[in-house]
Amino acid sequence: MAEMDKKTDTFDLDGMFADMQAPDTRPAPDFMARVLQDALDVQTGFAPDAPPPEPRVSRLRQFLSAIGGWPAVAGLATAGVAGLWIGINPPNAVADTAENFLGTSSDLYLVDLMPGYDFTVTEG
Amino acid sequence: MPFDAFADVSDDALLVLYANGDPDAARALNVRLAPRAFAQAMRMLGDRAEAEDVAQDAMLRLWKMAPDWRQGEAKVTTWLYRVVANLCTDRLRRHRNVDLDAVPEPEDSGHGAEGALQDAARITALRHALAQLPERQQQAVTLRHIEGLTNPEIAEIMEISTEAVESLTARGKRALTALLAGKREELGYSDG
Repeated sequence: MAEMDKKTDTFDLDGMFADMQAPDTRPAPDFMARVLQDALDVQTGFAPDAPPPEPRVSRLRQFLSAIGGWPAVAGLATAGVAGLWIGINPPNAVADTAENFLGTSSDLYLVDLMPGYDFTVTEG
Repeated sequence: MPFDAFADVSDDALLVLYANGDPDAARALNVRLAPRAFAQAMRMLGDRAEAEDVAQDAMLRLWKMAPDWRQGEAKVTTWLYRVVANLCTDRLRRHRNVDLDAVPEPEDSGHGAEGALQDAARITALRHALAQLPERQQQAVTLRHIEGLTNPEIAEIMEISTEAVESLTARGKRALTALLAGKREELGYSDG
């Protein structure tokens, strides 16, 4: 028991500390249940949110995505225009190369789609 | 999964499992830590209802911060000790000017009602004197003399050297003695 030393006017602190350790420190079952319920309630909030539904994607957007987006479309358009121009007015080098590969007669592969329009690729 | 399946799992790892949604980890942590938090609060506050409130609050803070827990940086028990100690200190400071007549009736300890009341008054006075100490002294004294931990254990919890723990507890005890000396009459020492 904590007593005071009356000669020195000091407290028996160790005895007082020992008295503080005395109470029953076993937790009550309902306290344990409350803490567990808190734990489970808080844990419910940790569940990852359901992923948002996939947005509907138009066919154009799917196509753009497949080829690499608008920059790819720009390249594709440039290539298309260049190809069209080469088809309309091929430089001599292209005509020569085609002739070398496909033979001397251009009649085999040249199709005059617009007879009224006066352009031909002449040989040599 | 039975609780003993987690016997070899550290508190850190259990907390990660808990944060990942494992309800068995919640149960295992509860069984492992809630009684410790309650016992510490009970020793510091001496009131079962208040100790339950503090322990539940401390555990709730643990549950909430589980996703942000950084493994290996601190021990979970150390963190919990600190939180419970701080919550108890706050409560004691709030009731610093408590009327000693309002001390709850203690259980009969075998030496009469008057002696029991005086014991309760002394314990209450000690708790309130503890609450007036600087935080580090209060924590060191509490862990050493009320929780019964060794100086190396306290040094680990407080992240200081063993020598610093010894210094803090010595200064804390001197300060407690001085604080309690001012309450001699309240505690019934002056008329003996």
